[in-house]
Order: sequence, then C-alpha cells, then structure tokens
Amino acid sequence: MNDATAVPQDRLGRAIRLQCGGLYAIWFREVKRAIRDRGQLIGGVSRPLLWVLIMGIGLNPYFRGEVYGEVHFVVPYTYLQFIFPAVIALNIMYTSVQSAVSVIWDRQFGFLREILVSPMSRATILLGKVLGGATVALFHGCLVLVLAQFADLSLSPADIAWGLLLMALLAFGLTSLGVVIAGRIRSFEGFGVFSNAVILPLYFTSSSVFPLDPSLTGAQTSVLYPEWLVVLVRWNPMTYAVDALRGAFIHFNQFEPWMGPAVLVAMAALFFAAALRGFSKA
Amino acid sequence: MIPAIQVDHVGKRYGRTVALTDVSFDVQRRESFALLGPNGAGKTTLLHILCTILQPDHGTVRIGELNVIAQPTLARRDVRVVFQEPSLDDRLTVYENLNFHGLVYGVPRRLRRQRIEALLELVELTEWREKLVRTLSSGMKRRLEIARALVHDSRILFLDEPTVGLDAQSRERIWQYLSRLRSQRELTVVVTTHYIEEVEGCDRVCIIDRGSILAVDTPAALKAAHGQQLLRVALREDATASEIMLAYPDATVQRGDEIIIRSGGDEFAEAFLSRYGSRIRRLSVEEPSLESVFLSLTGREIVDRAAGARERTLAFGRQGGEHTR
Repeated sequence: MNDATAVPQDRLGRAIRLQCGGLYAIWFREVKRAIRDRGQLIGGVSRPLLWVLIMGIGLNPYFRGEVYGEVHFVVPYTYLQFIFPAVIALNIMYTSVQSAVSVIWDRQFGFLREILVSPMSRATILLGKVLGGATVALFHGCLVLVLAQFADLSLSPADIAWGLLLMALLAFGLTSLGVVIAGRIRSFEGFGVFSNAVILPLYFTSSSVFPLDPSLTGAQTSVLYPEWLVVLVRWNPMTYAVDALRGAFIHFNQFEPWMGPAVLVAMAALFFAAALRGFSKA
Repeated sequence: MIPAIQVDHVGKRYGRTVALTDVSFDVQRRESFALLGPNGAGKTTLLHILCTILQPDHGTVRIGELNVIAQPTLARRDVRVVFQEPSLDDRLTVYENLNFHGLVYGVPRRLRRQRIEALLELVELTEWREKLVRTLSSGMKRRLEIARALVHDSRILFLDEPTVGLDAQSRERIWQYLSRLRSQRELTVVVTTHYIEEVEGCDRVCIIDRGSILAVDTPAALKAAHGQQLLRVALREDATASEIMLAYPDATVQRGDEIIIRSGGDEFAEAFLSRYGSRIRRLSVEEPSLESVFLSLTGREIVDRAAGARERTLAFGRQGGEHTR
C-alpha cells in the first residue's frame, strides 16, 4: 500500500490533481456533447435572429412617446438597443437551463453511476457539469453579440469584457437553476415543458421587452402599470440581470448600477448551493 | 495478509422488503469470487454496498484497510464496477469514453494513452475507436465497459451480471479476457451471475438466496458437500408426471415438459427406473454439478427465477434508475 506511507502533502497534491482532471473531463464532455448536437446550435442562432432582427426592428418605431406633439424616446435609446441585452439574457437562459437536461440524460442512461462511483467529490462533478453548461450558454450569448451592429451598438473592448463576465455569471447561475429543476423533474418531456414555463415568465417580467420608466415615480408607475406587474418585475431576479447587461452594453440602468452584478453573484451562489444540495442526495 | 474485501454482518432493507440479512464473508486477494443466486436474491444490492453507492442499514465493509462506509471516496480509487445496466456515454466515441474514465481516475496522460490502446486491442475494438458508442452492438458495448473498468489501476473489479444478454461466444470471450488480466496483474474479481456454468471457473463461489448466504466455498468443495445426482425425465403422459411429483414431493421440480428429480444415488435411480421405466420418453442422468448444489440448497432451480425483461426493468427502477418511457 503505497498510499499509506506517502507523505501527506504529496497525497493532498494528488487528490487536488485528481479533482482537477475530473473537473476538466466533465467540463469537456459537456462542451463536446453540445457541439455535436446541431439542434441546440440552430436554436442558439435562430432565437436571437428572431428577437433582434424581427421583433426588435419591427417594434423599433413604436418605442417612443409623444409629449405635446414632440416625439421623443422613452429612454434615450432605440428599442433595438434597449432589447439587445435582454436577448442576450434570453439566449443564455434557454441554453443554460436546457443544458441541465444532461443530468436527466445521465441518470436515465446510467452514466451518472459511472461518475458517482468515481473518486470525485459530488461538488467537483456538479461544478464540472455547471461550468460545461455555462460555457455553452456563454457561447450562445456571444452569438447574439455578433448581431450588435444591427442594433447600432458600438462596443468598446472594456464593455465587452465586463459584459462577458456578467454573462458568464448569469450562465453559471441559470445552469445551476436548471440542475435544481432537473433534480425534481426527471423526464425529458416534463423538463422541456417545465423549463419553458419557468423561462418565458421570467423573461417577460424582467423588464426585458418593456421598461419600467425610471423617470416616473413609484406612484406614477403604479398608475401606468398594474400593481401586480410592478411587483413581479421588482421581485424577478432576471430584472436585475438584464439591467446589469444593459449597464454593460448600452450604459443604461433602471436601478442602482451595483444592484445588477450583486444579484447575479447572489443568484450564482444560491442556485449552485441548492443544486449541490439536491445533487448530493441523488 | 489482509483480505481484499471483508464484509461483516451487513443488512439492508428497502421499506418492508428485506434485501440482505446479516451477510458476512471475506474475499482474498487475487481471488475470483462469484456471487451466485437467482434474481432478487440480493446480489446487486450487496454489490452496490460494496462499491459505495448504497449504504447498508447495519454492518461494515472493508476494502483493504479502508472502511467503505466511512471513507467512500478513498475506497473508490481501488475499486472498479461494471454495472448490470450500461453506463457508457453513447454520444461520445469509444476512445473518448475510455479517456474520460482515465481522466476522472487521475491516470497520467502517457500511461492513459498507452493503456487505452492496449485495452482496445484486448477487447478487439481498435477499429472502432473513433465510432460513437451508440453505433456499437450490445456485445461490443459490454466489452468496452469492461475495458473501461481497467483503464486505471483498480485492485478490485466488481462485475454485476457482466454477461447477461450476450451470446455464448461473447460470454466466453469476456471470461477469457478476465482470466488473462488476472494473470497479468494483481486483480481481485467479484462477479455476480445467475449463469451457473460461468461460475465453475471461479476460485470460490458464494451462493446467496433471499438475502442470506447459503454457502461459500470452492466449486469442487461445494459439489462434494451438496452436490447430488439429478435425473432429468421427460414423460409420455402428463398424468405420470403428477404421479411422480406425488411420490417424491420433496425431490422434484418441474421445468417445461421435464421433471428434475434429486436422486439419492444409483440405487435410487434403479428403483425409479424399474417403476416408471416404461412410461419414460427421455431420461438423462446428471452427475453432481453446481446446478444440483443450488437445487439442494434452495430446493429449486436457479433458472426458474431468472428475471424476465419486465422484472429487470422494475428492479432497475427500485434501485434508483429512472424510466420515463
């Protein structure tokens, strides 16, 4: 038994190297599977095209108000610019949550057992999976970024770097959320339906397609929008995620600029913790 | 020398069903050890406890010096499992599956490559290395799974029904691979099966039924102690069958159109023949085999309870597998 006589430090080093190797293996596997799945890629491309080129350009002219016969924009941006960061969030959302299907897949086809009997800790396994899903989601987010010129956005490298960081955080949090869902709903079909039932409401109430006008006071907002909608938007964490992305890409924030990144970090930490709890029991 | 595996008073129940009652045995190093029993006997439960994916209700399991229940992560390093149900990633290629396993078990890159090539050679899948696993036949998948189990330096290999659903030729091959491997490096093999003929080549056999161990010994010793001569009889008329069943109620089992009778020896056989000889269509005398050992220990034939596809599916579900279709 070499293990027993080895120096403890060496042992620790070996253990860390082992976990890192495993982390890489699981991450790489997730990414590889996503690349091979053409359907996912098509969805990742078609969704932003639909939202940016058709929805965005189509609704662009209507996104303005008239005060005393004078036309001006509600916010100092075109609708296309306004919706652009939200579409990035949407694309990341879909891909992240969907990537958790691999957890269901692994359970169904027995691969999960192969991983569970390996000398890796559950946290490493989950981290690898979430990082893999998040990488793919981040890539799908970048597919939207390519369309930036259609939205008349000129991005500085610093904007892009900050934006990518926020996107990565969002992808990480949402992939963890997907794993939480996958822990409860164990069939492919159920997961598809349920994840849509989560994604779309979260998206629409995240002030993504319409703004809660920041120039209005709370009382005025409540007059313009029904109370329940305002409450929903205020409580939806995605609101702040979208707001953070807007801050990065169009320098417009409806809320305090620090709130968006803070919520993103909190989301990533909370959902990962929840996913780990569910996963350790699996 | 410490045994490779020590199982001490292990028990497990699922709700009200008792899967294992107070099971204890040792497996020596370099031994090939078979768990033989019908489906539902508790073999798979026992194996799952040994490979740390299931916690027993009571009792301890040691692998080498490690307590499996207290230190599962450490114990897993020395152990490799081939499950009853396939656990390959069928969207990765043959090579990628093996490589993934090597990475996860921390096999250094050079050694990993070298070993994967050698193993592919061994299980004759070299030409298939770049093929997606989903395109392989089930026999090839099985071989790949066994190869995968050997990518890292496992000292103990658990195989849960490794040859179920395979044709005789593939089954034969898999056993050949295993014995070749055991001659090459220190490897303890624990295998569960309900194919009696496969167990003959193992060093020791543990017969298990309804959650408890009935006997543990070498095949030869088991045969000497519990083996019996068996008469397999096919009769001209069904009426005679029931008559024989009535005459020897404790010693007969019906299987298809045959009756199997535990014979006390040649005298018994002669007496039997003189009485029913004219009404017999076909008769064969079987010398003591493990099958008869099993029959005399449990009072029934093992194949009687070999699970059908549906039963296997249900068992899989109970053990935590998921089915959506």
